[in-house]
Amino acid sequence: MEQLINELKEKIIDTLDLIDITPEDFKEDDPLVGGKLGIDSIDILELAMMIDKEYGIKIDNKELGQKVFSTLRTLAEHIHKNRKG
Amino acid sequence: MKGDRVFITGMGIVSSLGSGVQEHYDSLRNNRSGIKPLTLFPLSEGNRHPAGEITGFEWDRSVPRTHGLALAAAKEALSGRNTVPDAVIIGTTTGGMALTEELLRKGEKRPDCYRYHSTSSVAEYCAAALRCPGLIVTVTNACSSGSAAIKLALELLRTGKATCVLAGGADSLCRLTYYGFNSLQLIDPEGSRPLDRSRRGMSVAEGSAMVLLEASASAPEGAIAEVLGGGLSCDAHHPATPHPEGAGALAAMGRAIEDAGTASSGIEYINLHGTGTKDNDLAEAAAIRALFGGAVPPLSSIKGATGHSLAAAGAIEAVVCSMVIRDGFIPGNTGCTDPDPELKVSPVLKALDKKTGTVLSNSFGFGGNNACLVLGDPAAPRKTRPHGTAAVFEILGGACVTGAGDLARTIASLQEGKNCGGTLPLPDISKNLPAREVRRLKRLTRLALALALDARNAASQDPASIFFGTAWGPLSETYDFLTKLYESDEQFTSPTDFVGSVHNAPAGQIAIWLKATGANITATGGDYSFEQSLFAASLAAGSGETLLVMGADEHHEELSPLFDGSVRAGKDPADGGGALILKKTESPAGPCIAPLFFENYAASPGAIASLVRSLGGADGINATCAAVFAGMPGGEKASCRKQLDEFLDATGYTGPVIDYRALLGEFGTVTAAAAAVAAQCAKEGMVPAALASGAALQLRGKRLLMVGLGSFVTAMEITA
Repeated sequence: MEQLINELKEKIIDTLDLIDITPEDFKEDDPLVGGKLGIDSIDILELAMMIDKEYGIKIDNKELGQKVFSTLRTLAEHIHKNRKG
Repeated sequence: MKGDRVFITGMGIVSSLGSGVQEHYDSLRNNRSGIKPLTLFPLSEGNRHPAGEITGFEWDRSVPRTHGLALAAAKEALSGRNTVPDAVIIGTTTGGMALTEELLRKGEKRPDCYRYHSTSSVAEYCAAALRCPGLIVTVTNACSSGSAAIKLALELLRTGKATCVLAGGADSLCRLTYYGFNSLQLIDPEGSRPLDRSRRGMSVAEGSAMVLLEASASAPEGAIAEVLGGGLSCDAHHPATPHPEGAGALAAMGRAIEDAGTASSGIEYINLHGTGTKDNDLAEAAAIRALFGGAVPPLSSIKGATGHSLAAAGAIEAVVCSMVIRDGFIPGNTGCTDPDPELKVSPVLKALDKKTGTVLSNSFGFGGNNACLVLGDPAAPRKTRPHGTAAVFEILGGACVTGAGDLARTIASLQEGKNCGGTLPLPDISKNLPAREVRRLKRLTRLALALALDARNAASQDPASIFFGTAWGPLSETYDFLTKLYESDEQFTSPTDFVGSVHNAPAGQIAIWLKATGANITATGGDYSFEQSLFAASLAAGSGETLLVMGADEHHEELSPLFDGSVRAGKDPADGGGALILKKTESPAGPCIAPLFFENYAASPGAIASLVRSLGGADGINATCAAVFAGMPGGEKASCRKQLDEFLDATGYTGPVIDYRALLGEFGTVTAAAAAVAAQCAKEGMVPAALASGAALQLRGKRLLMVGLGSFVTAMEITA
């Protein structure tokens, strides 16, 4: 899980061009949206696309998205639970 | 005719419900829906959602589908009449995209194949078919384009400068918008169910509607409805999500009702924007409750029947509202069976017979662009109200970006006799923009923001409304979106790029940054985009208002040479733009700018003679004009030179003619950069030697004429 979380930090920074954010700035249990990272609803959709592409997991509706993208940890748990192989 | 009333005397419509007014009446009266599986292009696995496609639509395949849809609606609007409209104002967001995206996928490199790509080519195609000699404006305000176009037409007719205008909107289905809305999770997999408790989004659709608008003191024979008023606003909140309480929607509805000379109690039916997305329907309902309180009139959305046809939607709904008034029925909110109690408004679920005199039609779009219209019974007696004043635009401050840099650097380079054409590196453009906040914005929006902030700082005043011209819109996002889509076999793409790719994304961003909640219009008129945005400003800006009028284009390595003949003719890639902060005032204290002339050369071969007459004839021009800034697009150089010679022959004018494209670069909105340079000359009272054929030229109260040549002949003046 720790490894997946660290991997996600890198991927999120890369996907969203968070140029002035480092992996250390991410706290696993802080809200992903609206915090000091400056991530908003369009970014979440961009991340949903990335998760689908990288892990083959679809998060294609708002209700599910709100739960899964609550924090970095909820996202990692969702991926861990649903990824194949 | 100034101050007269404006009537809809002809209308045409094509949508997933059918072709023509009668088929729409039958469909709506019987609660039919046109939403069904999409067949126009194959959809990738997992992404197959229903859409509002027009099945069996035939058109001249030498043009893209949007053009065909627009002309079909225009012909119906004019059916049986020889009327030639004085102006054509059309909203579209996709232009020739449906064809372009196929050509790009095939790797087509022949520029000629892309000649109908631009959004402007839709209105130009219709204007050519109808032989319209006058003003052409293309409005690209996302999903409020059609209504905004009708509002501009209304204002043009009120000025008395036109007596008959064709206005409307058109968009065809294409992959960009389909997969774009899909990436935003805004498409309902079961088909759009506006206002329903279980709604999950819209159904992307296509269509067109056009209205023929005529100014007249009383209802002309055959008048279908009267356009009583229109209201524009901008949320200035978010690029793609409405303000949660519908603040912008509320403002636009309020302005439309006020413009119509009525009150909310005078509205008898509301045709909702009602897309079926969670957020839109919640925000719209909140705004309606705020405006109408406990007296909400009957209301419904027809987008569960037609789907959401983007730029066409507002025009389609204006035609439907005209039918509501003429035929005495209210369309049902097709698709909704269990109204969402959270909305606290109850839609009319099935069509019903009801005589209705005054209706409100709502359209909202990306960029927070909102446009509302109020239509009424043409037979009702009304007091004529005066519209407009003799106000002019005082220039409070200006900015430009060219290959040389900002306005100061551009003028310094010009004074040294240097060519300023070129493309500034992205970090230079972004140097005053906070890095984190612009991380998602690509070249055009950054250019536009940099220009807007520079102009605002030069003027020390924030604008309330924004008029943005761009020939090609955000090319980087468009290209990146399609590239990702194709690379992944239409599985993945970027929602960020989709939101950024809409032509009005830059103006929407500027509004957010400057908190500009007034009118927000993006005009996409090719090489005449800046002129169109200034004309739009002259129609839609309120008296006493501070506004931003600007133009910008980005150079894109792949797309610019394919799309733009002048880019191909130019020596080096160039981009940039210009911005002016203006105040609409009756008593200017400094330099002013005014739009003077706009004719369609193809339909008005005497346009140069007409231009000379309108500028006061040879004597008038020679007595008042210090220098001519001539816009001669490189792709049409030979015909521009001929037109210029005709102008010089007719006037005997011997003063300086500044071929600004040769100095500032070949790009669509270089005119905006030239206007900023000219405005600076007016402020300083002189044209530098390097521009004025050798010796510095004192203006001594004379004006600078900006003349646009080529496919369109235009004129603006800048007075000291």
